[in-house]
Amino acid sequence: MDGIRVGKRVVGTQSPVTIGWENIPRVEGGPVKRLFFTWFQPVMLFALVAFWYYAPNSIAKASTAIGIGIGFKVLLLGLEWVNPRYESWRLTWKELVTDLFYVGLGYTLLRIVDSYIGSEIAVKAIQHHFNWDKFAWFTGLPLLVQAFLIAFIFDFGQYWMHRGMHNWYPLWLPHSVHHYITQLNINKGAVGNPVELFLIGLGIGGFFDFVPRAFLISGAFGMAIGTYQHINVRFNSPRWWRFLFNTTEHHSLHHSQDYESSRSNYSGSFIFIDRMFGTCIDGEAELLGMEGGRRMSIREQMTYPFTEGWKAIKDRFGRATAAPVAVAAE
Amino acid sequence: MTGQASPAAGRSGARLAPGTDRPQGHAVNLRFIDWIWHVRGSLPLAPAQSSEDAFDRLDPLFRQPGTSHERSGDRLTFRKKNQAAQDKMSIFDGGVLQVERAAAGPVLRYHLTSRALLFCFLAPLLFLGIAQFTIVLVKLQGPSTEAASPSGKAQKKPAVAPVPMNPIDQALGAPAPEKPGKDGAEGGGRRGKKPSPTPAYVFAAIFATLYLVGRILEDRLIRIRFRKRLLGG
Repeated sequence: MDGIRVGKRVVGTQSPVTIGWENIPRVEGGPVKRLFFTWFQPVMLFALVAFWYYAPNSIAKASTAIGIGIGFKVLLLGLEWVNPRYESWRLTWKELVTDLFYVGLGYTLLRIVDSYIGSEIAVKAIQHHFNWDKFAWFTGLPLLVQAFLIAFIFDFGQYWMHRGMHNWYPLWLPHSVHHYITQLNINKGAVGNPVELFLIGLGIGGFFDFVPRAFLISGAFGMAIGTYQHINVRFNSPRWWRFLFNTTEHHSLHHSQDYESSRSNYSGSFIFIDRMFGTCIDGEAELLGMEGGRRMSIREQMTYPFTEGWKAIKDRFGRATAAPVAVAAE
Repeated sequence: MTGQASPAAGRSGARLAPGTDRPQGHAVNLRFIDWIWHVRGSLPLAPAQSSEDAFDRLDPLFRQPGTSHERSGDRLTFRKKNQAAQDKMSIFDGGVLQVERAAAGPVLRYHLTSRALLFCFLAPLLFLGIAQFTIVLVKLQGPSTEAASPSGKAQKKPAVAPVPMNPIDQALGAPAPEKPGKDGAEGGGRRGKKPSPTPAYVFAAIFATLYLVGRILEDRLIRIRFRKRLLGG
């Protein structure tokens, strides 16, 4: 494959990719369907932000956010059924079971672990010794500005954590498992080795939940933007949306079987962070995964970082004459 | 004929099972529970249809990445490893298909095994275990520091002066924040809360439902796929 030059890099030499919005297919069907799939994303974003902005204090609670989050995902599963982006990404029973297993781990075991050794406990300790009066300038800002800053700072941290995972082998090992997914569906963001899910959950966003409303609005940003990373729905996202926000198109390129393409689009919600640091590529891919699209079993997903890590350690320290460990293809 | 394990299908299933060199008694005992992850069924073939023709028609189903198969006479055996997500038989890891000559005509009997079904059947037990683990953990943690404080009250944090709402938010009509310390006003997130077993119970129920759906759905789907292939050109 010849590949396509994008800036200084050549992408699509190992697996086909589509570059440039003008080359990406549009929603097919009648005017109502096209209207729906053009404006669904912006309408949901503004509706959710407005809801959290005006909801009475009795409703503006974390439990409401969890309920809305679950309902929103069920709705998106319905959209996957109605208007899939690729037939080759159709959600099967087995894929649904696998994805939900990871979602279940996230809601149960990972939360327990996080409450003991995660960022939450560190934040709690810091908060205990901190004079929050010094943060009055922040809590005095307009709610939407607070919410954006919380979401942006969190995503900025996620960007560098994610980019680090793609550039430093010890971090790549737990993250690599997530790149074995061969299709994007709404719960695929939860699929990965628990070590990685723990690492990616680390962030400083939790510092700010002493301002519940701003925190809840920032959560709405994440839900109404970041959720579309892993989704099998064809949208006609408006140009401004694609410029500012991460889309399923961007993220499919990140999951491409093409190595060079996978080293792009690291942010969770705000793709302009990638634009700031020169890692954004506008495009999409259908063939996803690693090793030519080999599907990894749950058992291997659980053990892979450790077995591969052990191999790497043995290669490096096991033999006196060992050659330096090569960084594995991502 | 249904795809469910009828007594006849069960008998032939025991005969068809891949790698069934185990003692008969063991097989008989296992038969009462192996419907959990074994799918058995049969389909009538056209009167003059040979096993070779039937297997030729089914052949594309076994020419998938990660699938190996072999034919010997009236019998086809297959194995799958790391099967692709969109493999039409992705939930199955192995199985045997056999053409039998009955008085009413040739019949294709199949016996397929699925670790995915077994996993989904066991998943509720895993999540129930996690729920129990959570309960034990909460008990071990004991009462919260607030309840355990000698005075029975939480240690008072330094008073934080309430921050007035930004004029823009006031103008737009956002509800005023509640005073810190009031229920739900501070720590509205999950921090500070003890782990709850509820999510684990919910996921146990979800997987129990998914198992029932999958056991019935995949049984029917594979039957439909075999029949379409056998009837198709």
